Amino acid sequence: MDYFVSTVIFTGIALIGVLGVYLITGLTGLFSLGQAAFMAIGGYVSAVLIRNYNVPVVPAVALAIVAAMLAALLVGLPTVRLRRDYISLVTLGFGEAIVALLNNSANITGGAMGISGIPQLTTLPVVLVSVVVCLALVILYKNSKYGRQCLALRSDELAAKSMGIDVYRLKLITFLFAGALTGYSGVLFGFYTTYLEPAAFNWIISAEWTIIVFVGGVNSLTGTVLATILLTWLPEFLRFASEWRVAIYCVIVLLIVNYRTAGIMGERELSPKTLRRLLGRTKEAPR
Amino acid sequence: MSLLEVRNLTKSFGGVRAVDDFSFGAEQGEIVGIIGPNGAGKTTAFNLITGVYPLDRGSILLEGKELAGKEQFEITRSGIGRTFQNIRLFKGLSVLENVMTAADPYSPYGLFSLFTLGAAFRRREREVRAAAMEYLALVGLEKYADEKPSNLPYGLQRKLEIARALATGPKVLLLDEPAAGLNPSEVREFIGLVGELRERFGFAVLVIEHRMEVIMTLCSRIYVLNFGKLLASGTPAEIRANHEVTEAYIGKEDASCSV
Ligand SMILES: Nc1ncnc2c1ncn2[C@@H]1O[C@H](COP(=O)(O)OP(=O)(O)OP(=O)(O)O)[C@@H](O)[C@H]1O
Ligand SMILES: [Mg+2]
Repeated sequence: MDYFVSTVIFTGIALIGVLGVYLITGLTGLFSLGQAAFMAIGGYVSAVLIRNYNVPVVPAVALAIVAAMLAALLVGLPTVRLRRDYISLVTLGFGEAIVALLNNSANITGGAMGISGIPQLTTLPVVLVSVVVCLALVILYKNSKYGRQCLALRSDELAAKSMGIDVYRLKLITFLFAGALTGYSGVLFGFYTTYLEPAAFNWIISAEWTIIVFVGGVNSLTGTVLATILLTWLPEFLRFASEWRVAIYCVIVLLIVNYRTAGIMGERELSPKTLRRLLGRTKEAPR
Repeated sequence: MSLLEVRNLTKSFGGVRAVDDFSFGAEQGEIVGIIGPNGAGKTTAFNLITGVYPLDRGSILLEGKELAGKEQFEITRSGIGRTFQNIRLFKGLSVLENVMTAADPYSPYGLFSLFTLGAAFRRREREVRAAAMEYLALVGLEKYADEKPSNLPYGLQRKLEIARALATGPKVLLLDEPAAGLNPSEVREFIGLVGELRERFGFAVLVIEHRMEVIMTLCSRIYVLNFGKLLASGTPAEIRANHEVTEAYIGKEDASCSV
């Protein structure tokens, strides 16, 4: 039972981090290969504030999220005007720089030894409520002017500009929102494991999250949620050692790339409308 | 003062003078045609007006205000709407959402209102949806609202491009070969549509077209470009009687026949 609960908690935390990648990659078509660094920022800032400075929990969490957003602003401001491939490079560099910074400021962060003795505040209810709230915010974002404009700029940036969309501002807002979500997932992570080390937040995590979004179906939020559950749970569930995780990812990615190029869900979402179509009409109307 | 006044528009790509010292204008409610052989620089002129490329030289005045040097989205918001020669609809969005997206930049609500399901957000979302539906109805696409644009036939995709441009609230509407690929009855219907839209919105229309029927029926003034330069301008009757223009076109016909 404990094992089950801890898997659910880890999946929930991962999901909140992946939601950030979904906003950037699924919705906006950019790549952030340093997204896990925001998780590190969230985790470390809240941990240090509470452990070293006795800051109460709520302000510590709020400050951690603000710190992650400031970092997102720092990366976003110079990069949103760059070409998409350069954005991947800059975010990758930023992520690795954060890991290096954590390693090298041992007096505050404990360096490569990590930081321990963080209070365990993340419980199952906390994670479930967090997931529901974060998911609701992302659903709202997707179905508002923000989400529509993000999808428009992903599909055709030039046409989006010609429709009056301020694409740089929109990318920046999306970056900040994603940074806040991923930062918060870092807070939950630190408060669950009670221990943080820089190596847990390198680019491999960010790449895995990007893969999860692709496996789910690039702009389907439902697909992202399903893929997160599938890909974080499957290896745990089958009790594979962690080195098998990468192999499983590779196999799944190859299968998807070969047989279902649009991801599990493609562009579809689970909504009352699609449910009715699935249950009511067995045969698709020809078009 | 003209609604739109373009002076000495000039742009080179490498050694190619795509647009060379081109001046023209449009009054409120006027439909102006731009014609010329392939590669004459017509699309480039539109791209310069809408800020896709910076100008080498020249000035673009909308109601007396300079647009040159502004960002694309600022130019659109100040009242220049456009369609694209090679259709550029948003693939991930439905037909209705394509049009909504063009109205979204004018939505004032912020993240706070969105995340608290505030009244500003809900009201504006309803307004944008209703307005987009109305634009779709104007071009006769309301029953395809939930389709993906790629499922529409070519002629309807062109109409969707127009509906989307309408949603940007243009004072000047730029149409780049809007009748390309339409059959003769669709062309006639299209001519009627542009006339109706002009009546209803009172904007000026700049239209690039190779289909002479469209240009001769709709336009009160025509500008002829050739190798980036203004070759002639005038009323449809004057252009029809102009020998240089016929030559430029016959030259092009010959070239395309000999291929
Ligand atoms: N982005 C660009 N880079 C380099 N050359 C360009 C670019 N855009 C246009 N040109 C060149 O500028 C010239 C004018 O092209 P443009 O597309 O404006 O012609 P057009 O009059 O619209 O022709 P068509 O009737 O075929 O659409 C052509 O020689 C074209 O190759
Ligand atoms: Mg052209």
